[in-house]
Amino acid sequence: MIKYTLRRLLQAIPTFLGITLFSYLLMTAAPGGPVGALTFSPNVTPAQRARVAVQLGVDDPWSVQYLRWLAGDDWMRWDSDGDGLADGSIFIPIGIDETGHACHEAPCAITFAPGTGKGVLRGDFGRSFFYRRPVSSMIGERVAATLELGAAALLLGLVVGVPIGIIAAVRKGGIFDNVTRVLAVCFSAIPIFWLGLILLLVFGARLNILPMGGRCPPSLTGGCPPIWGRIEYLILPTFVLATGAIAVYSRYMRASMLDVRSQDYIRTAQAKGLSNRTVWFRHGARNALIPLATFLGPAITGLLSGAVITERIFSWPGLGRFAVDGVVSQDYPVVMAVVIIGAIATILGYILSDILYALIDPRIRFD
Amino acid sequence: MKNFRRVLLTASGLALAALAVAPVLAQDDGLIIIEGNFGGDPQFLNPILASDTASTRMTGFLFPGFLNANVETAVLSPYDPPMASGGLVQDWTVDDTGTIYTFNLRQDLVWNDGTPITSADVMYTWGAIQAGSQGVVDTALSFVIDPSGQSGILDVTAPDDHTVVVTMASPECTSLSNAGVLGPVPAHVLPADYAELNDAEFNLNPTVSGGVFNFSALNPGEQVALVANPTYADAPEGGVAPAGFIYRVVPDQNVLFEQFVAGETNMIDGPAVARRAELRALADAGEKQVYPFPGNAWDYLAMNQADPANPQNGLDADGNRIDQGSHPILGDLAVRQAISHAMDVDSIAAAALFGEGSRMTSFVIPSSWAYADDLPVIAFDLDAANAILDEAGWTDGDGDGVREYHGTNTDVTPEGTPLSFTLYTNEGNGRRTQIGTLAQDQLSEAGIQVNFQTIDFNTLLDIMDTQTFDTFILGWRNGWPDDPDATQLFTAQADVVGGGSNNTSYYNPDFEALNMQAKSVPGCAVEDRATLYREMQAIFQADLPYVPLFTQDGMYAAGPEVAGFGPYPSNLYWNVDTWTQATP
Repeated sequence: MIKYTLRRLLQAIPTFLGITLFSYLLMTAAPGGPVGALTFSPNVTPAQRARVAVQLGVDDPWSVQYLRWLAGDDWMRWDSDGDGLADGSIFIPIGIDETGHACHEAPCAITFAPGTGKGVLRGDFGRSFFYRRPVSSMIGERVAATLELGAAALLLGLVVGVPIGIIAAVRKGGIFDNVTRVLAVCFSAIPIFWLGLILLLVFGARLNILPMGGRCPPSLTGGCPPIWGRIEYLILPTFVLATGAIAVYSRYMRASMLDVRSQDYIRTAQAKGLSNRTVWFRHGARNALIPLATFLGPAITGLLSGAVITERIFSWPGLGRFAVDGVVSQDYPVVMAVVIIGAIATILGYILSDILYALIDPRIRFD
Repeated sequence: MKNFRRVLLTASGLALAALAVAPVLAQDDGLIIIEGNFGGDPQFLNPILASDTASTRMTGFLFPGFLNANVETAVLSPYDPPMASGGLVQDWTVDDTGTIYTFNLRQDLVWNDGTPITSADVMYTWGAIQAGSQGVVDTALSFVIDPSGQSGILDVTAPDDHTVVVTMASPECTSLSNAGVLGPVPAHVLPADYAELNDAEFNLNPTVSGGVFNFSALNPGEQVALVANPTYADAPEGGVAPAGFIYRVVPDQNVLFEQFVAGETNMIDGPAVARRAELRALADAGEKQVYPFPGNAWDYLAMNQADPANPQNGLDADGNRIDQGSHPILGDLAVRQAISHAMDVDSIAAAALFGEGSRMTSFVIPSSWAYADDLPVIAFDLDAANAILDEAGWTDGDGDGVREYHGTNTDVTPEGTPLSFTLYTNEGNGRRTQIGTLAQDQLSEAGIQVNFQTIDFNTLLDIMDTQTFDTFILGWRNGWPDDPDATQLFTAQADVVGGGSNNTSYYNPDFEALNMQAKSVPGCAVEDRATLYREMQAIFQADLPYVPLFTQDGMYAAGPEVAGFGPYPSNLYWNVDTWTQATP
C-alpha cells in the first residue's frame, strides 16, 4: 500500500504543477489588477501607482511572476557587497527609477533589498498584496474555522444521509422513500446562497433564535468559547453546507442498499430466519457502505467549494471567505494559496478514497 | 440502530440547547458598542499605513489626530472642547508669507503606557511620510509631498517637545488640511529604521496608543475589539464611559441591517437606502435612534472628451498643454448637453435612492460651504435635448431610432457616425446598475443609443486609467472636513494616462485659473474662496465633463440602549467617550 500511495503521490506532482500554471495564467490574464484597487484615490499620482506595480512585481511578465511565486526571488535579486541593498538581479528589477518604473541597473531612485521570498516549492506562499502579511500566517488563522465547519457538515451529512438512504431502501416505494426522494431532489437543487439567506432571515431576523453569522459571540477580549459553548453559531452554516451532502449520501446509500438486497448472502441470511433488522443493518448496510467510501474524496472537495459561499453568507471566518475576498481584490498570492489548498485537498481526497476502498473491501487489491 | 438513535437524540438535544440561547450582547461593565462592518478586516491598525475604511475607523479610535476639527462647522480649528477635541494641536500661527505654520501642541496628552505625546511622535510620522515618498514605507499619506516642490509640505521641524513647525511650498489654502496628516504615533515603540515599519508587529497589535480606546484583540475575519482607555485626557470626569467597541465583520448590507434590527449590533453607519423607512418607523416606535444627514458621497456620469484611440497626458514634461484630440461623439459639447437634458435625474434618484439623496449641480456637494446655492440643477427637458442634437447635426436619417451625424465637423466626427456609445459601471453596485439601466432607457428617447455594461471594478479602473472609455458611472466620497479644491480631479496636471483622476481630459483655462486663485486666497477665508468656487461650478456645469447626478444621504442609527448618541454629519463618534448604557 505504501508503494501504491507513493506512486499516486508522484503521479500527482505534474497534475499539481499544471493546475498552478493554468491558474496563474488565468489570474494574471484577467483584466484589471490589484494596483488600481490599491491606489484608487485622487491623491495618488501616476508615478506612485507605477511604483506600487513594480514593488508588487505585477508589471513583470506573467511567466516571471509565476516563476517568482513558484521558486521565490531570493535567487533572483541579490546583494553582493553586503550593504543591505540589491546590486544584481536576473528577470526582476533591482529598484525603481525616477518615474516610478522598473530599474534594472544601478543607480536607481529607489533600490530594493535583496529578495527574501522562497516560493511555494519551499513552503512560502508569499505576502498578501492588501494586508502585506505572509499568506501562510493568514491561512493559519483561518484554516481551523473551515475545518470545523467542514467536519461538522460532513458529519451531519453522514449521520443524516446514510440512515435515510437505508430506511428508504428498506421501505422502497413507501411514503418515506417517496418523500425523501423529493426532498433529496429539492436539497440538491436549492442554491445554498439562497437557502442560507432564507434561513438567516427566518431564524435570525424574524424568530431571533439563532445568531446571524459569525463563529463566536462578540467579545471585548477576543476570546472564543469551546465549540459546545457556541453551538448556536454552528447550526445554520452546518445545515446549509450539509444539505447537498445529505441529499447525495441518502440517494447513493439507497441505491447501494438496493444493489446489496439482491445479493446471495442477503437471501441466505433471510433463509436462515434472521430478523429483518439483523439482515438489513448487520449484513446489508455494512456492505452497502463500502462504495460510499469512494465518495469521501469528492465530498471533501465539495465541502471546500461549498464553504466559499457558506462562509461568506454566515461571516464564518474561514478560508472560503478569505478566497472570495482575495479573488475580488485580485490579491494574487492569496488566490494562489487557496488554489493550492483546493488542488491538494482534491488530489489527496481522491487518493484517500482509493486507499479506503481497498482497505474496506478485501476484494480490491493495490496495483 | 441503537447507536443511530443515540446520535439523533444527542443532535436534537444540542439543537434545542442552542435554540434556548438567544443571541445577546455581552454587557459586563458599561456599554459595549457593536458596529457591523462589511468592509473586511482592517489592513493595518497603524495610522501611518491605514488607508481602507475599516483601518481608518479603528485608528481613529486608537490614536489622537494632529488637528482638531469643529464638528458643528466642519472647519479645522484650535482645540476647543468638546466641539473640537481629540487632536494634539492646541493652536497655531502662520507667518506673513503664509507658508510657515507653527503649531503649539497640547501638553496633557499621554500614550497609554504613560509616555507623554510630544513633537517627537509627530516627527516620526513625518519621517515615515518622507520614507513613503521614496517607496520605503507603504503609506498613502505621502501625497502631501509634491516631488516638484511646487505644492504640499516642504519640511517639518520640532524646535521643542511641544512645538511643530511646518513649511509649505506655497501659501495654499489646502495647507492646513495637508498638515492634518501629521497625526502622532508612539515613536518610542516603533522601529527606528523606517524600512522595518511595513512589517512591524505593532501594525496589527498596537499595544501603545492614545485615543479614546485601547486595542484589545483582532480576530481575523470576525471582529476587532477595543476597550476603554483609562488615561484618555479628553474623557469626561470618571474616564471613558463605554466599556469598549467591537467592529464585527458581516457579509453584506442586508445582514448588516438585519443584525442591527435584531439587536445583535447596536450601531449602524450607512444602512441601505431601501431599508431606511423601516429604521425611521422603528425610531418612531422608540426602538431605535436614527440620525440622517446630507451625504458627502456623490455619483456622476463621466464623459470622455478626448480621443480614446490616442490618449495623451494633459501636460508635457515642461508643463505645456498637449493636444488631446477629440472624442468623435462626446467631444461635441452639444451631445454632452443633450445627454444632461435627456436624463431625468430626479426619477433616477427616486428609484435608486428611495428619495435619500440630493441633486448635484456641479462638482461641489450641497453640504459644502462652497456650494453654489443659486446654480440651478440641470433640467430634464427632452425637447431641449432633441433640439440641441438637431441643431448640431445629429439627426435620425434612416429612421432606425438612433441619430447619426450629418453635421459639418466631419474631420472629428465622420458623416453618418451613429450617436452610440458605451457606458460602464462597476458590477455589484445595485444603485449604479439602476442608474445605468434607467439612463440607457431615457437616452434612447432622444435617439441616443447606449451600450450599458457592468464590469469588474478593477477592469473599470483599468479602462478609466487608460482613458479608452466613452462614458462611465462612478462616485466620489469627499473627505471631512471637505475642501472643494479641484486640482486633483479637473485640471490638466491630473490628466495623466495610466493613473490621473482627470480621466475625461477636462480642460478649461478659466476654470483652472479660478481654481488656482481659490486655493491661494490671502487669509483663506471661506467666504472669499466660496465666491470663486461658485464661478467654477457654473463653468463646470456649462462644460459638462460629468453629468452630476446626486449625493446619497448618510444615516447613523443606534440601539435604544445607547445613551449620549448625538452625531453630527460625518461625525458619528465625536463624543463616544460620553456614551453610556441607557436604563430602561
